[in-house]
Amino acid sequence: MLTNTKNIEQVFKSVGTSPIRPDGVPKVTGMAQYGADYSLPGMLWAKILRSPHAHARIRSINTSKAEALPGVKAVLTSADLPNQTFDYIGPERVAVNYWHMTRNVMAREKALYEGHAIAAVAATTAAIAAEAIALIEVDYEVLPHVIDVDEAMHPDAPVLFEDMITRGVEPAPTKPSNITKRLEFKVGDLDAGFAAADEIVEMSFKTAAVHQGYIEPHSCLARYGADGQCELWSASQGHFVVRAYTAKLLGMEIGNLVVHPAEIGGGFGGKTVVYVEPIAVALSRKTGHPVKIMMSREDVFKATGPTSGGSMTVKIGVKKDGTLVAADGVFKLQAGAFPGSPVMNAAMCAFAPYIIPNVRTVGFDVVSNRPKSAAYRAPGSPISAFGVESVLDILAQKIGMDPLRLRLKNAVKAGSPTPYGPKHSHDGYAETIQALLDHPEYNKPLGKNQGRGVASGFWFNGGGESTASIHINEDGSVVLATGSMDVGGSRASMALMAAETLGVPYASVRSTVADTASIGYNHVTGGSRVTYATGLAVVEACNKIIEQLRLRASIMWDVDVKGVVWEDGFAKPADKSVGEFEPLSLKAIAAKRAVTGGPIVTEAAVNAGGQAPGFSTQFCDVEVDPETGAVKILRFVAAQDVGRAIHPKYCEGQIHGGVVQGIGWALNEEYIYDKQGRLSNAGFLDYRIPVASDLPMIEAILVEVPNPNHPYGVKGVGEANIVPPMAAIANAIQRATGKRLTELPMSPPKVLAAIDAV
Amino acid sequence: MLTGGFSRRYTDGVREFEIAARTVRGVISAMDRLYPGLGEHLEEETSLAVNGVIHEVVYTQIIPADAEVFFIPRIEGG
Amino acid sequence: MSKHHVTTVINGDPVEFLCATNQSLLDVLRNDLNMTGTKEGCGTGDCGACSVTLDGRLVCSCLVLGVEAQGKTIQTIEGMANGEHLHVLQQKFLEHAALQCGICTPGFLVAARSLLERNPDPTEEEVRFWLAGNLCRCTGYNKIIEAVLDAAREMRGA
Repeated sequence: MLTNTKNIEQVFKSVGTSPIRPDGVPKVTGMAQYGADYSLPGMLWAKILRSPHAHARIRSINTSKAEALPGVKAVLTSADLPNQTFDYIGPERVAVNYWHMTRNVMAREKALYEGHAIAAVAATTAAIAAEAIALIEVDYEVLPHVIDVDEAMHPDAPVLFEDMITRGVEPAPTKPSNITKRLEFKVGDLDAGFAAADEIVEMSFKTAAVHQGYIEPHSCLARYGADGQCELWSASQGHFVVRAYTAKLLGMEIGNLVVHPAEIGGGFGGKTVVYVEPIAVALSRKTGHPVKIMMSREDVFKATGPTSGGSMTVKIGVKKDGTLVAADGVFKLQAGAFPGSPVMNAAMCAFAPYIIPNVRTVGFDVVSNRPKSAAYRAPGSPISAFGVESVLDILAQKIGMDPLRLRLKNAVKAGSPTPYGPKHSHDGYAETIQALLDHPEYNKPLGKNQGRGVASGFWFNGGGESTASIHINEDGSVVLATGSMDVGGSRASMALMAAETLGVPYASVRSTVADTASIGYNHVTGGSRVTYATGLAVVEACNKIIEQLRLRASIMWDVDVKGVVWEDGFAKPADKSVGEFEPLSLKAIAAKRAVTGGPIVTEAAVNAGGQAPGFSTQFCDVEVDPETGAVKILRFVAAQDVGRAIHPKYCEGQIHGGVVQGIGWALNEEYIYDKQGRLSNAGFLDYRIPVASDLPMIEAILVEVPNPNHPYGVKGVGEANIVPPMAAIANAIQRATGKRLTELPMSPPKVLAAIDAV
Repeated sequence: MLTGGFSRRYTDGVREFEIAARTVRGVISAMDRLYPGLGEHLEEETSLAVNGVIHEVVYTQIIPADAEVFFIPRIEGG
Repeated sequence: MSKHHVTTVINGDPVEFLCATNQSLLDVLRNDLNMTGTKEGCGTGDCGACSVTLDGRLVCSCLVLGVEAQGKTIQTIEGMANGEHLHVLQQKFLEHAALQCGICTPGFLVAARSLLERNPDPTEEEVRFWLAGNLCRCTGYNKIIEAVLDAAREMRGA
């Protein structure tokens, strides 16, 4: 891959260090601009009217009083947006359906959840916009609603879409329901498998919907010009995807919309979709002024995608010696008001870390009157893992085997089968288990009311399209641009890989994120894909610029380009026969660029494949207060195969962050609805995410089993770490109390009820 | 090879095929000849696992001899 | 309804502004004074992203009315560095990789500085409880706590 460079044999100068990130100073001084930090002269403020009802037909909307309020420049309803054809586009698992998407952005026939956007107002001040919202009159016909996934599947449940016939069922049902689809993966012979088992456990579990919980509410600023050209500043995980969705929903040509990547205050998957952008653009188009929108925290909880809650039954059979022989999982995930829960992921990931010859997973995608679900860190996988990893723990106890050793015995490696078809392509899972077995605290004895639990998790990790461009400044410094939004420090990782490939100091590389008009397509920053796929584009661009630099040097020396090598940041003669030439730095070559041909630039693009999945194995120690049911995390150790840690501190940070989100998911987070289907805890006070005083230091172990398909061995890190924590904690609670909790969150009232139950 | 769900939707449940092709384009064309229209679905909806290693669908990718080629649902994350 | 005229001192500089009766200090800072370093995460005092100090007291600026700033001194994130010289806390946050998306970082820095002004040698537990009013969703708090403890050490000259 590295052509004509003297290769540094796995000893890196830049890769593997943890320098300060290029966007660091702006972020610690408050200078960095996030989605809500942009302003333009003449800017209007927009507010959104939201449904107070969980399920209602919209009979009419009267905006006349709002329009008459002084200071109001425009009122928007779905009538201002083109209708979309009903069609699932793209992969079945995450198919985009613009008919659904436009209705989620602004309701048409029905309000399908409390908080569903009904109309929007743009006014000269935020206060006037808020006043105008209250003047919009909506005639609702309130309908019965349904929230819970099991209830929504009931034949008598209120139906959200009168024409929804479940897909994936033969013969197709005759009655509409809330079940969007059924899917199934199957390998081997389940009956024979279970017949051969010495121990079988079958159990049902429930998880609650949880929000990604990013601290920054959705925000954007749009400026639509009289020439049909629009600029949009948006905090998202993928400005190219924002451009595509927004243009489609507005009926605009993609080329007429430029999206600038604002810094983003957290996403975790929840900002790979659009909510406010189409509204801001439409209002800007209607008013001829720039329009700014910032969602309130309450609206973020009521109207943006959490991940699904799920209801599942898991059955696993094992032999006395610990060999897993059969597994069956049925997973029902609630998608919110429109189809698209991550149920396929849940079904594919559930048993993926284990070699099991007979496996079946069945999934149901179910709609109900709550906000449409969106991706959340390894979407779907944490949900099914809760059930699977809990059952494995019960089986380990039944056969008297250490739960880590049970996993190790059945651990997949390269060549092992997957439940969804192809073989596994990479090692790495067993190494994460071993890291914990070797951990000095793993066998440390615990005290009263304390218990230790383990769990593992799997996530695919992504590849896909990325572009990187490089140019050499006149002083020899390097400018590197990609189109990958920087959520967690990727500018630094890209610069490290570039510095390593070029053989120059990290400090000489300027790493930036370019807007949609300035660089080729980049897929979202999500799916743990950026360090891998955009990294590949960066390395390829570096290799191309090295070819150029060699060529320029050869011209400067007037020799054949074959006589020039690139080593440690310098062009050097390949050997004495080429001539006695001093090595040329980037600075020296850049100084002569005009006479050697002009600016030194290049670009590289990939549609990357060859990525390796993520495996994480974790153990945690808890103490349960028998009087309150409160669970305290005493210790949490998470091992993850990262392939190669380009920036070790950022890899650790990803593991810390995912684990703590998992702790919140396990112990506290849920949506509490009242009898009218309205959300009671739409704020950070009562939607309680972990705070600093809840937690000990989380210990992250970076296991490195390099991915041979990437020049630096990279494997995606961001997501796999959120998959195990819920089960690890449930298993720890069981060891501490003797009680098995099967419903999330395992909040104090639930734990107390379990302890007190006979 | 195809997953069960995909095959149920597009190939009457047939999941395994023997194809002679040297590139991904060759595989897709061959599948499209067997089931007209299938090619577009494969392009739009799947990722490709060649001997287990996952790739996006790219026409020019070489398929080694005797490789197992599995079309799986395309991967997205969060 | 006419606006109120407020005179205050922000980061050592005299500042005048007009604000509505029900306008929060956060709103004034961000939208009238263009000081967008202080962030809005929730608007209801639950997340700490809008932390500033008011006469030396750590507050959520979303819970303070603009008019309450009259005659008081305010410190925001914009006043923490001294020109090119970062505050030790800012430097340590960078070195320890204590930020990922960075949206909570201004609030944490203001809050941490307030802690160290009162207690220059806090234990880990004391740091965690002082910062319990600042939410972070990205980092799991590990590196934030390490950065604050390290900054405290350096500021003590230890």
